Amino acid sequence: MGRRKKIVQECERLMDEPENIRNIAIAAHVDHGKTTLTDNLLAGAGMISDETAGEQLAMDTEEDEQERGITIDAANVSMTHEYEDTNHLINLIDTPGHVDFGGDVTRAMRAVDGALVVVDAVEGAMPQTETVLRQALREGVKPALFINKVDRLISELEEGPKEMQERLTAVIRDVNDLIRGMTEEMDDIDDWTVSVEDGTVGFGSALYKWGVSMPSMQRTGMDFGDIIDLEQADKRQELHERTPLADVVLDMVCEHFPNPIDAQPMRIPRVWRGDDESELAETMRLVDEDGEVVLMVTDIGVDPHAGEIAAGRVFSGTLEKGQELYVSGTAGTNRIQSVGIYMGGEREEVEEVPAGNIAAVTGLKDAIAGSTVSSVEMTPFESIEHISEPVITKSVEAQRMDDLPKLIETLQQVSKEDPTIQIEINEDTGEHLISGQGELHLEVITQRIERNQGIPVHTGEPIVVFREAPQQQSREVEGISPNRHNRFYISIEPLPEDVVETIKLGDASMDMPELERREALMEAGLDKDTAQEVEHIHNTNILIDDTKGIQHLNETMELVIEGLEEALDDGPLAAEPVQGALIRLHDARLHEDAIHRGPAQVIPAVREAVHNSLIDAEIRLLEPIQEVRIDVPNDHMGAASGEIQGRRGRVDDMYQEGDLMVVEGVAPVEEMIGFSSDIRSATEGRASWNTENAGFQVMADNLQPDQITEIRERKGMKTELPEAINYF
Amino acid sequence: MLTFVGLGLYDERSITVAGREHLRAADRAFAEFYTAKLVGTSIGDLEAHHGVDIEVRERTGVEQDPGPILDAAADGDAVFLTAGDPMISTTHVDLRLRAHDRGIDTRVVHGTTAQTAASSLTGLQNYRFGKATTLPFERAHGGTGVPDSVVETVTDNADRGLHTLVYLDIKAADDDYMTADVAADLLAAEYDQRLAVAVCQAGSSDPSVVADDLPVLADRDFGPPLHLLVLPGDLHLLERDALVELAGAPETLVANRTI
Repeated sequence: MGRRKKIVQECERLMDEPENIRNIAIAAHVDHGKTTLTDNLLAGAGMISDETAGEQLAMDTEEDEQERGITIDAANVSMTHEYEDTNHLINLIDTPGHVDFGGDVTRAMRAVDGALVVVDAVEGAMPQTETVLRQALREGVKPALFINKVDRLISELEEGPKEMQERLTAVIRDVNDLIRGMTEEMDDIDDWTVSVEDGTVGFGSALYKWGVSMPSMQRTGMDFGDIIDLEQADKRQELHERTPLADVVLDMVCEHFPNPIDAQPMRIPRVWRGDDESELAETMRLVDEDGEVVLMVTDIGVDPHAGEIAAGRVFSGTLEKGQELYVSGTAGTNRIQSVGIYMGGEREEVEEVPAGNIAAVTGLKDAIAGSTVSSVEMTPFESIEHISEPVITKSVEAQRMDDLPKLIETLQQVSKEDPTIQIEINEDTGEHLISGQGELHLEVITQRIERNQGIPVHTGEPIVVFREAPQQQSREVEGISPNRHNRFYISIEPLPEDVVETIKLGDASMDMPELERREALMEAGLDKDTAQEVEHIHNTNILIDDTKGIQHLNETMELVIEGLEEALDDGPLAAEPVQGALIRLHDARLHEDAIHRGPAQVIPAVREAVHNSLIDAEIRLLEPIQEVRIDVPNDHMGAASGEIQGRRGRVDDMYQEGDLMVVEGVAPVEEMIGFSSDIRSATEGRASWNTENAGFQVMADNLQPDQITEIRERKGMKTELPEAINYF
Repeated sequence: MLTFVGLGLYDERSITVAGREHLRAADRAFAEFYTAKLVGTSIGDLEAHHGVDIEVRERTGVEQDPGPILDAAADGDAVFLTAGDPMISTTHVDLRLRAHDRGIDTRVVHGTTAQTAASSLTGLQNYRFGKATTLPFERAHGGTGVPDSVVETVTDNADRGLHTLVYLDIKAADDDYMTADVAADLLAAEYDQRLAVAVCQAGSSDPSVVADDLPVLADRDFGPPLHLLVLPGDLHLLERDALVELAGAPETLVANRTI
């Protein structure tokens, strides 16, 4: 029997013992060494050879990942580890660190109970460190810290024990400040800060495969002095053998991360809004393998042989082949064709996967990343895609006519796998639109279409996604139906910022019980009378029904909402989506007979009223902006800050960190296209930089008309604006 | 001058003599067929019969862009043709008011309409009808089954002992006309057993008029459109006899409704 086969068997045995299971994610800022660390753990568990760990990047299974040297998709793996004489099953997800792939991180967090956050000892906590911590804590996932690249402190920076200690303490303090700030208002989390004394912090070098923690130092008798001596003497192999990284980290995982039985009672109320008194809630809290099956799909992958594979966390029941399961948001059931677990990039089929584990199943043809799959119909889990909105769009066109159907299929597949991608299929022109988190995100997706599917495509220039938003209270505007028998009276005002944020985070939605929604909106600053009359929420816009006792309005409301959504999806300025609008329906006059207030009448009337109110509310164009951080040597600092300022950006802060200067600021995404090559040449390649999407911002008035005209031209709309738009 | 002319119920000969004279004398003739049509003829036959050219306008060309019609009426004599009567059911009063806004004279030449046919063919007295209503296709009202407002209208009328005339939905653009059996089926889900009268091909030489329980009507084929339904309220003696004689109503069904 091969070694791999043995591990699979051992995993299968351990799957039934939730006390000994740990579901964890490794997350970090890009290039801080997650994937190298993961390889160490795999080697430690005997899954890849010890020698290649660190070079193999076993988790980067896609060709482009190995080429680019970064992780793009979250990858799953199961392994076993003996801790205190008990064998443990560790289900691990390696996540991408690059900001463009943040959606993958969010989804991975839903599946796990512990997050090992990796931070580069030299760079310290970086913007993505903050983001992944936030993503973990929001999901109720407990953090631990591994400080990587400590070898660089010794060999490159030649720091002594005291300097090293100061630096490491500073890193821990920064991370703890972040954790404290983020958990302050979470009642169910007590104190999740990390500390060396508790053993929730590890140090080491993933590249040279050694690591230490307080418990390991006590066990092996190795202290920092020994480590510095060995590292300086270049005896890294000895260092690895005496205090191997995998043991230190896996011990930490077993000791400090909660098992599913401890984790699920706290996590279920955070991620599921169903009835907490129900039997289903009870079986999920108890990780009951005999309960109804509940699987939360966090990832969709494609296997050339098996087809589509859905991976996710089993919260209750036991997954088996042949089960007929409901998929949230779709009708009917899907039949499970096979169940398995992940070993590195490969899937191993097993007989069954019980609650508390991460499973990989085939046959769930209707599932997308984020679906709730269950043996009884149930309230779905909270949506997990509320952190990132797409900011960049690119057109994709098949080079060969024959590939047209296949391209559409592939694009639909892509959006299933990664819900932070939005696609818009246009069968008439064949020019499809694909929107995502950044240039790299879209580049990777299009490359995969070409390489994996063998479909040569033409792509357009990347285009920034805009928004439109009202700026002030409008007067009451009348919308008249084409037959003039139906009238709607509407006004619009901007929604308070906090309300928009609450909706964006999914903390107030039409899916939740009315009372809960009302409370969430009131807490965000909506007054009670308004919060009570919420009729509909579309994106970050709210429709309030302020009418009283209008006959036939209830059966016309569906059409009102349809007209409203049309008006909001294509705003009046440049047909970009409207955000942050509070729409009040004050009054309506309706025709007696249903046929004279049908879709052809109501939809245009409402659309007209909404657009005219938006114009009266002085609607403006918003563009996406990014936070930019550049680390650069002192003599290139001027050039670096110039790169931000020259892009309609703003430099907010400049400070020294180690021997480098840090420049922080914000700039519009549109101007940031092509930034990577410009900053490289401006600083002779000495700058490292990072961007993070930071929402949308109103463009300056003097820039609005040109930008609007440009978008309208690109969309083939007539370029002159409605007469009422005269405020620029 | 803008003259609204009703073309009547069925074919090119359903128009009144007065309507025919106005049509033939007009400088330009417009028509809309998006809410009803003349089943027994075609535009071509209509044009040939009257020796005129007819410009057919879509809904948007009447409601949102009536300019060309009004221009023609300002410059000369224009007629605007509709099936049935121009001011009943599909009310074109809006177009008439717009004409007046521009100082254009208007007049109306009536046509026979489904509303009168429902009385004429069934023998139900027009004094005893309550509010009329239209039964939309399910896809057209964004819900399933029968809209509440339709149920409300029928119930209110019935409470007062009045008949309800139910127009059946027409989607001219899709060439889709609700038939009486489909309507009876939808209404049967709401009322179960209930007396109803199907009036089909009104205005033709051989209209069919059938009174029976909704589920029975739901299973019948009433031939080509247009159809409409009447849901009788209380029946006067003579109405009862008419339904039995003219619409083949089963005696037992009409007996307990008679006052």
